[in-house]
Amino acid sequence: MEALVGLKHVVKRYRRGRQVLEVLHNLDLEVAAGEFLALMGPSGSGKTTLLNLIGGLDRPTEGEVDVAGERIDQLSSGRLAAWRARHVGFVFQFYNLMPTLSAERNVELPLLLTSLSAAQRKQNVEAALALVGLTDWRKHKPNELSGGQQQRVAIARAIVADPTLLVCDEPTGDLDRETAEEVLGLLQQLNRGHGKTVIMVTHDPKAASFASRIVNLDKGALVPAPAMASI
Amino acid sequence: MKFLPLIWAGIWRKPGRAVLTLLSVVNAFLLFGVLQGFASGLNHAVAETHADVLLTLSRISTEPLPVGQLDQIKRVQGVRATMPMVPVISTYRTPTQIVPAEAIDPAQVLAVDPGLTIPQAMIHALQRDRTGAIVSRVLANRFGWKVGDRVPLRALNVANRDGSPTWPVDIVGVFSSSGGTLFKNAMLINFDYVDQGRTTNGGTAPVFVVRIDDPHQAGPIAASIDKLFANSANETKTATVRQIAQNNLKQIGDIGLVINAIVAAVFFALLFLVGALMMQSVRERTPELAVLKTLGFTDGGLMGLILAESLTFCLVSAAIGLGLAAMLFPVARRLIGFNIQAGPLMLTGFALAIGLALISGLPPAIRAMRLQVVDALAGR
Repeated sequence: MEALVGLKHVVKRYRRGRQVLEVLHNLDLEVAAGEFLALMGPSGSGKTTLLNLIGGLDRPTEGEVDVAGERIDQLSSGRLAAWRARHVGFVFQFYNLMPTLSAERNVELPLLLTSLSAAQRKQNVEAALALVGLTDWRKHKPNELSGGQQQRVAIARAIVADPTLLVCDEPTGDLDRETAEEVLGLLQQLNRGHGKTVIMVTHDPKAASFASRIVNLDKGALVPAPAMASI
Repeated sequence: MKFLPLIWAGIWRKPGRAVLTLLSVVNAFLLFGVLQGFASGLNHAVAETHADVLLTLSRISTEPLPVGQLDQIKRVQGVRATMPMVPVISTYRTPTQIVPAEAIDPAQVLAVDPGLTIPQAMIHALQRDRTGAIVSRVLANRFGWKVGDRVPLRALNVANRDGSPTWPVDIVGVFSSSGGTLFKNAMLINFDYVDQGRTTNGGTAPVFVVRIDDPHQAGPIAASIDKLFANSANETKTATVRQIAQNNLKQIGDIGLVINAIVAAVFFALLFLVGALMMQSVRERTPELAVLKTLGFTDGGLMGLILAESLTFCLVSAAIGLGLAAMLFPVARRLIGFNIQAGPLMLTGFALAIGLALISGLPPAIRAMRLQVVDALAGR
């Protein structure tokens, strides 16, 4: 299957004062279109850094990041922002919804950057909320929703602009087991039923089991599958 | 427009704080509107005065001038009409109810005050009734007077022959005049009634009103009049009404400067207030702004969003403040006869609001623009 994400010889270093930390070391990774990839590893292994590079939130110090046919490591800040709006949907551990906006207004946010009319935006928002089962909660603000509902609003926001790639950073890290499984089921449905490529960072092997492939990261490098057992 | 809900939600994120700041900004614009309105009303009142109306007063004191001098003044080339005038500064029922009554010659009043529109029938009624008075609509409304009412004026500067300060007058007409320099908001009573009824200064007037043919000749004519009485016991000083009004204003002080200084101080303080609000608001929303960048908002877009927030907040506050001030303008017109030009004032106010918004919103907008998404999401 064709690769949607391709990382070649990626190195990421951070400067913290005088100290330079190398978080990712010469990393190569390919993710096929339509794949559900779980990115696992201990804290500080570079999972979120890798996810940020794939999502176009950060740039590698060295190497190439190719996503959806675009060398995103070479894009300017403005073009990268436009690229993110078009190609990537983000889901965070703590939902990161706008507390003053209703669920439907939160979901509408990515569409504000498109040329869609108000009626078209409304239609897309309704479709996304229906997909995550929150049609009846569209007027509620985040503080009136449970954690699971808030995460479903975040997922609706991530998919409303119909992106190619869903990037999820510990999407169930703040949820109880039952709700977490609902959310993971929803991501799986988006992957299998709607063809979205999903890359998910998780600590949780149970969550990772929903993925079609698991990649393990340790100290900034990909490690063979047996390391899974030690997690 | 599609960003308005997002902008509005940003403003009202902390409703209590937003309301208090809004009240402060509204208050500042109300103050601006009232003070600038007052200043523009004064300037407008001065500008409205005609340059072809001169006033002749005593050069050396507040002593009145003999009305016999009017005959000589009438003969000066370029003088069209003259009239003696005695301001009878009076109160009505209470000491605070000031009535600007002027003792005038009804036969000359329309000739000396161009633009004053009083029906001839009303002038004749005043001439027929020695104790008659005609009042402007402004005064009649303020005190509830109507034709037929007897009003006991209590003069502060002219004593009646019976020893009392009371001058009973009968209202014989109420006029509305949009034009006129001296009398459009006054009560007019007969010069003869006051002159013959007072205990002192009979046959004199502290002011002569002189109407000339050509306003461009005001200077030479004023000089000619004053030359007539040079080195006499009653030397005169003649100037246009506009010059006298400007001199009077200057004696109070440079009102424009004082008002501008007050407004500048208020807005300088406001700059910090709104700036601090915006900065705090942006700081608190760092993770939310990072999410917007994640979703695809560009650096410039986010900067524009914060500036739009500041702009919306300041414009809404200005609209409320200036709107409240505008509601006071008709009251000012009714009470003190000021005609305030609201249009230019509003334009200046909104321009000020835009300036305030841009200056106070720029530092937080730049902060939002420079936000590093990865650091902000990681809480660094």
